[in-house]
Amino acid sequence: MNKIHCATPKDRISFYHTRGAAFNKHRNLEVRMLTSGLRKAFLKPGEGLFRILFAGMILLSMVIYGVPAQGAEKGHSARVNCDIQHTSCTRELSDTRVVFDITPKPVKAMADLTFRITLTGKQPEAAPYIDLGMPGMQMGPNRVPLESLGNGVHEGSGIIVRCPSGKKIWKATVMVPNMGAAEFIFDVIY
Amino acid sequence: MSSIETLYIAFFTTGFFVGFGHCMGMCGPIVVSFSLNLRPKGVMAPNLLYHAGRITTYAVLGGVMGASGAFTRITAGIGGLQKGVMIFTGLMIIVMGLGMSGWAPLGRIFGDYFSAQGAIHRGFRKLSGIQATATYLPLGMLLGLLPCGPVYTALVAAARAGMEIQNSFKAVLVGMGLMAVFGIGTVPALLMVARLTGMGWLRSRDMIYKIGAVLMMAMGIYFVVQGIRF
Repeated sequence: MNKIHCATPKDRISFYHTRGAAFNKHRNLEVRMLTSGLRKAFLKPGEGLFRILFAGMILLSMVIYGVPAQGAEKGHSARVNCDIQHTSCTRELSDTRVVFDITPKPVKAMADLTFRITLTGKQPEAAPYIDLGMPGMQMGPNRVPLESLGNGVHEGSGIIVRCPSGKKIWKATVMVPNMGAAEFIFDVIY
Repeated sequence: MSSIETLYIAFFTTGFFVGFGHCMGMCGPIVVSFSLNLRPKGVMAPNLLYHAGRITTYAVLGGVMGASGAFTRITAGIGGLQKGVMIFTGLMIIVMGLGMSGWAPLGRIFGDYFSAQGAIHRGFRKLSGIQATATYLPLGMLLGLLPCGPVYTALVAAARAGMEIQNSFKAVLVGMGLMAVFGIGTVPALLMVARLTGMGWLRSRDMIYKIGAVLMMAMGIYFVVQGIRF
């Protein structure tokens, strides 16, 4: 006569332990397969995931090298405050008006240029000078000394160099001794 | 202190600060490309040779500028060559990236870290007939011609300094000296980049190596595009 065996609480615990062990073993196998797949995909070229990573890196590189440069250029474009290609530009210092001009036009990089500053109102004790630079990139000191031609007109020759990054926005800081500085941000033709 | 001595100090400090502020970004990828192809403990000698070559070219250009004072005429004359050098550099970085990643059977060009297994590597060694390390000197001389804003600015200043000297031989020497100290000033920043690239933990990770190769190729493409547009 068969006896009906009722599972005791101890049996139930043992049953669930066995199921749990099998589940854990299966899960560990899945994890191992997944990590193995990831390892292969990441470390062996030609695997699908690595190809995605490769494409992603190219896009990332384009973003890293392209977008900031363009963005910086656009950001500086918004700051351009002097249309030097067509006309002279004017700034007011405390008691002096500064008129800035570059010739010949169009103003090109890597060409001999004449920089002219006309000061009206109070005149400085020493000759002004111009520091050229790029707003978004360090290019080294490029100073244009100016000579007085009389009547508040000062002139000097200099060169705006070309940046291989392709950025074309330059800044001329006109330093007027004991009176301050006037900044002119403008486009240059390469 | 004479005005010339002051100029030397000014050129050196300009080179030093421009090195960290400009060269690390613009020329850093070239140094990284070379350094990743070198034995970790052997990064310094080839890099120093590369910089010596670069400084030699700067000095020669400085001498010419000092003697003639004709910046625009000379730069216009070498413009085509500079364009070619920029495109060549871009292509070289792309090929080095491909070789380093193992995606193309090129081997490690200019390097001695890995065995010569690629066609270009073997060919290059046979062609040069000398240790790969020594090739960094002429390479630096060639890449010293790369168009570079701060170098142009320094050359303008060297030309201006030369114009103020009556003796033309002395003007040549001053131009050479000024550009040489400018170049020396840029070296610490780029050596630091090379040293960081040689860190063991970075090299021991294959994936980082491959990401570096991808970035190298992207930078190479950037150089080629900018070279064509230059």
